[in-house]
Amino acid sequence: MSLSRPDTEDEGVDFAKVMRRRLVWLVLLVVGLVASAFVAVLVGTLGPIGPGDPEYISFEEAFGAIFHGQGDLPDYYANVFWEVRIPRVLLAAAVGAALACAGTAMQAVFRNPMADPFIVGVSSGASLGAVVASLTGLASIAVLGALMTPTLAFASALLTVFVVYYLGVVGGKVYVNTLLLSGVAVAAFLGAMVSLLIYFAGQQYHRIIFWMLGSLSMASWTAVIVVVLAAVLGIVLVYISSRDLNALLLGEETAHNLGVDAEGLKTLMLVVAAVMTAAAVAFTGVIGFVGLIIPHMLRLVVGADHRILVPAATLSGAIFLIWADTVARAVIAPTELPVGIITALCGGPFFLYLLRRNRILGDAL
Amino acid sequence: MKLEIKGLSFSFGDKKVLKDVTFDVEPGEFIGLMGPNGSGKTTLLRCIMNYLNPPADSVLLDGVSTNTQSSEDLARTFAVVPQSSSTDFTFSAYDIVMMGRLPHRSSRFAGPTMEDAAAVQEAMERTDTWKYATRRFFALSGGERQRVIIARAVAQRPKALLLDEPTVYLDINGQLEVMDLIKTLNKEQGITVISVLHDVNLAARYCDKIALLSNGWLEAYGSPVAVLNPDTIQSVYGVDVVVRKDPFTNAVYVMPHSSLAAGPRHGRRVHLLCGGGVGGPFMKSLLDAGFGVSTGVLNVLDSDFENARDLRIPTVAELPFSAISESAFRDNIALVRDSEFVVLSPFPVGPGNLKNVEAAKQAAAMGKRVIVVRPEEGRGIDFVGGRADEIVKELISSGAIPVKDMADMLREISRGVA
Amino acid sequence: MTSKSMGKTTKNVWTVLIVILVAVFSFAGGYLAGITISGQNEGFTIVDDYGRTVTLDGIPQRIVSIAPSSTEILFAVGAGPQVVGVDNYSDYPAEAAGLPKVGDFPPSTEAIVALQPDLIVGGDLVPLAQLEQLANQGIPYVLFADRTLEDVMKTIRLAGVITGHVSEADEVAGELEDRIDAVKAKIQDSGLPKPKVYVEYDDFMGFWTYGPGSFGDDLITSAGGVNIAHNTSSEYPTVESEYVIAQDPDIIIFTTGPWSTLSKDTYINRPGWSTIDAVENGDIYGVDANLISRYGPRVIDCLELLAEIFYPEVFP
Repeated sequence: MSLSRPDTEDEGVDFAKVMRRRLVWLVLLVVGLVASAFVAVLVGTLGPIGPGDPEYISFEEAFGAIFHGQGDLPDYYANVFWEVRIPRVLLAAAVGAALACAGTAMQAVFRNPMADPFIVGVSSGASLGAVVASLTGLASIAVLGALMTPTLAFASALLTVFVVYYLGVVGGKVYVNTLLLSGVAVAAFLGAMVSLLIYFAGQQYHRIIFWMLGSLSMASWTAVIVVVLAAVLGIVLVYISSRDLNALLLGEETAHNLGVDAEGLKTLMLVVAAVMTAAAVAFTGVIGFVGLIIPHMLRLVVGADHRILVPAATLSGAIFLIWADTVARAVIAPTELPVGIITALCGGPFFLYLLRRNRILGDAL
Repeated sequence: MKLEIKGLSFSFGDKKVLKDVTFDVEPGEFIGLMGPNGSGKTTLLRCIMNYLNPPADSVLLDGVSTNTQSSEDLARTFAVVPQSSSTDFTFSAYDIVMMGRLPHRSSRFAGPTMEDAAAVQEAMERTDTWKYATRRFFALSGGERQRVIIARAVAQRPKALLLDEPTVYLDINGQLEVMDLIKTLNKEQGITVISVLHDVNLAARYCDKIALLSNGWLEAYGSPVAVLNPDTIQSVYGVDVVVRKDPFTNAVYVMPHSSLAAGPRHGRRVHLLCGGGVGGPFMKSLLDAGFGVSTGVLNVLDSDFENARDLRIPTVAELPFSAISESAFRDNIALVRDSEFVVLSPFPVGPGNLKNVEAAKQAAAMGKRVIVVRPEEGRGIDFVGGRADEIVKELISSGAIPVKDMADMLREISRGVA
Repeated sequence: MTSKSMGKTTKNVWTVLIVILVAVFSFAGGYLAGITISGQNEGFTIVDDYGRTVTLDGIPQRIVSIAPSSTEILFAVGAGPQVVGVDNYSDYPAEAAGLPKVGDFPPSTEAIVALQPDLIVGGDLVPLAQLEQLANQGIPYVLFADRTLEDVMKTIRLAGVITGHVSEADEVAGELEDRIDAVKAKIQDSGLPKPKVYVEYDDFMGFWTYGPGSFGDDLITSAGGVNIAHNTSSEYPTVESEYVIAQDPDIIIFTTGPWSTLSKDTYINRPGWSTIDAVENGDIYGVDANLISRYGPRVIDCLELLAEIFYPEVFP
């Protein structure tokens, strides 16, 4: 249901029409995603959309390099596209999709509009793992080194979620409020530990900033494959739970009375979101805002029914992060900004605008 | 679908909340679950719907224990309407009702179908909520929300509707709306209804049977007339009530006594001359003030007769449609003799009961303190051509104390007592 | 909103604004008040690298250095015996490493005061407020700040003036200048083209390099290399991968050290970098991070090391 027009006295709902309209939305989003990816691949310090520093690749050359291989182009053109830009854009899409989808799921599980994918400790756990990997020199082991940081970040994130989950579950029942609080406490504790480690390592604060804001500069095909796999799995599982999530939002008792296994659902969503988010964070650091605001923005446009919200938010998250990363790369090329700055700068005001337009007051989202 | 509750006991930890509750519900019945706070009504409801796990075989549907059934099966049997529903999320009313179709999906992954859409539309039309379909649920009023939830329950096509105090947050308008709707569904579609209700009169009006719980025990189970009698209510709720029949629906309705303890019973007696319903408030205020009260002569069809009977006040009665007879008059005077005060309330006087005014004259002659309550001049309560008024004038001039209203009367009497 | 509630809101806003302004001004005032250095009438005045005029009672005999680069400079000009305490990272020369430690960033005020110093010497990363506090207690401080090799020479001479080792400082500086000139001359005479160099000091969430205005940039340039990040917009930027690929540097320098995660393999395995000359030819070299970033007298060693790397035929 599109709720973009405020309350009107319409006579009922034409179900078939609504279903058709949703399909149109989704098709538009998919087209938008493909188009965004396409454009983003053409953006960079070398052009064709960009300053052309230190040299300029024209559109023709770009297409040539992408589709036909080297030919008589300089040997690194193909590399720039196939080894640097395309993996980066794909990673941005996968991470944006994963975070938006996980955020949607978490908001349903916690019945809380302030929930985001990091709420159960994924970000602080991943940070600890990443910092340990780099500070202990594990990351500079010969062949495995490059994967050491993401692996440790991922493992540490999952371990953290496990601890938080364990603290929030009593007798097989998942108490979301307890979970929320233990997530906060654990995140604070781990955050302090990370700061401590950084401090003892001596004046390496800039590293933690880029990690805390997130960056897609370490994109590689390995990263793409891992994150895409985790994201696809997670998104599918969340989507097929859509109707159950709708019911869950009305309360545990209501969900039960509608035949939904609330406990199993909550656990599944937590695991799925944790895996998706941990995989993303392991390679990109903590990119904030996407997982919190994208679901809300889409709710304002397409409604709270998860059957449309999940795919819409997922696709929008991908599109959003592709663009944010493009800006992060291009705005002061050849220097890069952390993408988290862009997501917050752009997303915040736009969301406020949507909120005002819908004239929704108070905390009823 | 027949529901049997057999020896259902339930505890939260050490605390026993339900003790050996047993009763049956026939298909299509409308049952009210009642009882004071903490008596276990909501727990009972939750055990029936299996949200709490009752002991095995204590809740049976058509002979099959609910423990053995999946929550999806149970969701096809029971639809639940809670006290209130709200959400911070922007679901439309339509979305909410569509959720009722969850138990009917063909597989875990199936989306809503055209059949679901039809069921939702039908349910919303039946509950007159179809016009709110696109509106956000949280933006609706309490009554509208409850109706949407009921629509959801209807869309669920259950065999039984379980409601937990569905009217507690509604104004009187909303209450009747909702209860009428439920009753209609109950009668037209044969859906069994089991509802926790806190409003005794609502329950009496709508339920076929009432289960009255107290402290986890099932104190009574039966028709409202049988269950809602002053003695049972006193023992369960600890409140004195008077039970009447609603003149329009014939349902019983319950009127609580004042919960104020009557003043110190000082044993002084007042005889009240009344009729036509005027005496009710006087009886009550005198009783509350601690006096013993008697009254007469009252015609058996007079509402004051009912009032007196309900308040257990000694009364001299007269046959329907008859004027006061000599014997009745004598009995009346006998009561006067036993009293210290006589109050002549402003009741309508006709030829049939003029003798009640004359009784006041006799009381004065006997030396009793007579208090005449005369609110205003010319109130049109004399239907005997002024003779009642004459008697009253005589009374006052020979020492009866005129007062304007009940408060004045009480003051005079108290002065007399002091 | 009604005009009455509007009035109330405006009043609240003004109240908050005034409170904030008052707070800001008091902090600023307090800070400024603390900045005046209580000088003495005798002694001499010097101007440090930040342009601050500092008055000293006499030649300082109890110096505390809170930057490793400053420590090295002090010892190089022969003022070692006058140094009584250093920060945790001052590990060169060996005598410095053995001195009492006062912490790193920020240093411990107690530890400093316990040593009863008559001068504190700091570098770039200094806790100004803390130093001001100590100055108010009568302990002056001097800051060395260097961005180029030339700056280092000036600082060495300044250190000589401060510590009463003018001639020694001159000698040391002169020697170093000779070495610099020698390197530059040799490079010039060779007539060889300047190699393009990419230097990286970290790769956590981005490729961190030395941009214009940084010391590393000056070193690269002085050693006859062309820093490909020389025209970027900040001192310590992260650059895009494709930028480096397109620049196709001849030599890649990475920094080594206890916290460094970089190695030759890092660049060989980096996606898309296989076409870079430096990677194809294996011209990837590690340099001690302390040498390239700590601007003491040893930077000349680093300069010579880099020159060797850049011009192997000239400096075998």
